[in-house]
Amino acid sequence: MACPCEVLVYGDDRAQALSLGTMAAQEAWRVEHKYSRYRDDSVVAWIHGHRGLKCALDVETASLIDFAHRCFELSDGLFDITSGILRRVWKFDGSDRVPEADAVAALLPSIGFDKLQWEPPLLLLPAGMELDFGGIGKEYAVDRAYELLAAQCNVPFLLNFGGDLRTNRPPPQGPWRIGIERPDAEMTAAMLLDLERGALATSGDSRRFLLKASVRYSHILDPRTGWPVVDAPRSVTVAGSSCTEAGLLATLAMLQGAGARAFLEEQGARHWILQ
Amino acid sequence: MKRLTILTVLTLGCAALTGCSSLGVKPWQRDILSRSDMRPNGAGLDDAIDEHVYFSKEGSSGGRTFGGGGCGCN
Amino acid sequence: MQLKPGAAQLRRRLIAASCALLSTPPARSQENPDPGLVGRFLQAWQFESALAYYHEDGRIQAVEPVVSASHDYGDGGNVSLNFTFDALSGSSPNGALPSHAPQTFTAASAKSFASARRVYTTAPGNLPVDPNFSDGRAAFGADWTLPLTRLSRFTLGGKASIEDDFYSTTVNIAFAHDFNNKNTTVSFGADAEGDIIHPVGKTPVPLSDYAAFSREGDKSKTGAGALFGVTQVMTRNWLTQLNVSVDRFTGYLNDPYKIVTVLAAGGDTAGYEYENRPDSRTRKSAYLENRVGGAHVSADLSLRYMTDSWGIRSQTAQIRMRLWSPSRQHYIEPTTRWYHQSAADFFNPWLAAADAGSTRYISSDPRLATFHALTYGLKYGYDLGDRLHRSNSEFTVRVEYYRQTLEVDKPVPVALQGLDLYPGLKAVFVQFGFSY
Repeated sequence: MACPCEVLVYGDDRAQALSLGTMAAQEAWRVEHKYSRYRDDSVVAWIHGHRGLKCALDVETASLIDFAHRCFELSDGLFDITSGILRRVWKFDGSDRVPEADAVAALLPSIGFDKLQWEPPLLLLPAGMELDFGGIGKEYAVDRAYELLAAQCNVPFLLNFGGDLRTNRPPPQGPWRIGIERPDAEMTAAMLLDLERGALATSGDSRRFLLKASVRYSHILDPRTGWPVVDAPRSVTVAGSSCTEAGLLATLAMLQGAGARAFLEEQGARHWILQ
Repeated sequence: MKRLTILTVLTLGCAALTGCSSLGVKPWQRDILSRSDMRPNGAGLDDAIDEHVYFSKEGSSGGRTFGGGGCGCN
Repeated sequence: MQLKPGAAQLRRRLIAASCALLSTPPARSQENPDPGLVGRFLQAWQFESALAYYHEDGRIQAVEPVVSASHDYGDGGNVSLNFTFDALSGSSPNGALPSHAPQTFTAASAKSFASARRVYTTAPGNLPVDPNFSDGRAAFGADWTLPLTRLSRFTLGGKASIEDDFYSTTVNIAFAHDFNNKNTTVSFGADAEGDIIHPVGKTPVPLSDYAAFSREGDKSKTGAGALFGVTQVMTRNWLTQLNVSVDRFTGYLNDPYKIVTVLAAGGDTAGYEYENRPDSRTRKSAYLENRVGGAHVSADLSLRYMTDSWGIRSQTAQIRMRLWSPSRQHYIEPTTRWYHQSAADFFNPWLAAADAGSTRYISSDPRLATFHALTYGLKYGYDLGDRLHRSNSEFTVRVEYYRQTLEVDKPVPVALQGLDLYPGLKAVFVQFGFSY
């Protein structure tokens, strides 16, 4: 997950808390290992190894591809799990090394969910293309872990996988207090939110960006142009009933750039934006 | 002996002080303290092995835990 | 920028899509079958193991495997078991001084020089060591913690150790109570130990002449100790602990194999006598530890001060610093320890023949001398949690270098000039560890 993950359990039973934490950790590891682009034993690696061939996907992966497909359509191409290859030219390390326009343009023909052949459960990934579940993997892991824990117990708990949260109920003394990091100063919460149930997801550029000629290039890239969104807010937090839903909305909001706030207001989603 | 008395008094003094102190953290601030390298006996096995080596080569033992040897290495 | 279909419908459709995604059956039920009895046992227990190798330059070496297993009960209780094995071999100093002439000694089991099956000779200038030292040890310990209330617990433990020439059993109890939102913990413990010493070749009569081979029966010693400690959380990044302890041992406290060189008036070696130490020893110590830590670094600084009724006073300072990689996948941990002790009242590298009749306690064991010791070490740890799907699972390796330098301030007799009388100690230590 490349971020600290924690499970908060309210209660007196230490063994239960440990068991819930272990369950959540194992589910997170399972999802990460299955969909990681860094592991050579993941489903993603297997699909990449069978480019040009029809792969029969398992139920879970097929439903993730379905979801990605629907999001691709709903967002008019802004959310695209084939846009991962842009990381070959875009390295968001806080420097000023912005890639050449030609280098970016050269990658565009290999991007586009509509270029995949998807006839569930068979997927054909054309040569030169890549799949990247990074945009939904973490939120999906939160939801999966949440479901396992909710089926197991009734005590209030909160899952926090690096800023993507979900909780079933508040502790007796009041809602969970969530601090949203101020983009520039680590570990000092800029805002405190009260969360009673449901999910929160945050999309932000505080650590990954490029800065050249006073223009800040956020790491949220528009797959249709290959370039970062301009004037994106520094941090967008969205509340939803599931982490996947909240995460998608946060990402889509960032992709609207300056129109993030208007977009979220239109959607009627509870949101908090830090500029 | 006198030095030890002073130290004992200091310990008890600290315990009394902390009774009405502002030292400490709230339960949700224990993230770093719960790591194994921050727990008082976090390096259990390493410490036990070290203690055995030093007990057999020096004239002192214990401190963190009891000083008895439990072995004939004197 | 318009998003199709209609803006308001987007969220509804997104929610529907998420529900569809999350309603597919969890993959877990197909991929994670019941772990079975062994699997469930492994899940309930935490294991730590280590294999340590110790090697003194030209002297003894030891191999020590250790295994421990711990199980948490739901209510805060815990049981833990540990097993230690120790195999030592090599050369061990016998307490006599180097000399310009060769020196001959027998194995401990001999009854006389004539009938001795094994005799060893130390060349001129060398420190007399018994080259065939070997010892094996097996030890087992168990601790059981029982919660009394939400804020206090009681621990009961014991250990037993068996060697060729030494048997030991220990029992310990402890009580701990938390205050201030568990920011302060006060603990009190006591232990009792009983040992039987059964030396190879039987116990030598203390202060008797080495060549006389006078022996007596098995010996024993008993001890009891108490410890009082306070642990205090200072800040989110800093924890401190102060322990004060006392213990007292009575009985046979000698090293049955150690002799003392007896020097004639001019400094020539006139013979050897077996050492003798007082039959009681009371020790008091104070120990202070501070742990500070951040996201990727932590440090552990500890100080100990000890005095005892034999006149030994020691000071120990140790610092360990753990430096994690940015991904917290592995760490290195350099460590340094400084130790100093002042000699026991009855420590003497040799016994003057003229004093032989009036000396009640004497030992030339360098472990009772004035010396300082330095340890330098480096540990490397690799977190296996991600691979093994177990938290607190890691592989470690550490290497340490230990060096003792004796500080004996006695005028050297003419006959012993030009000899390295107090060579001290140099040792290397390597340990591999695995926890699961």
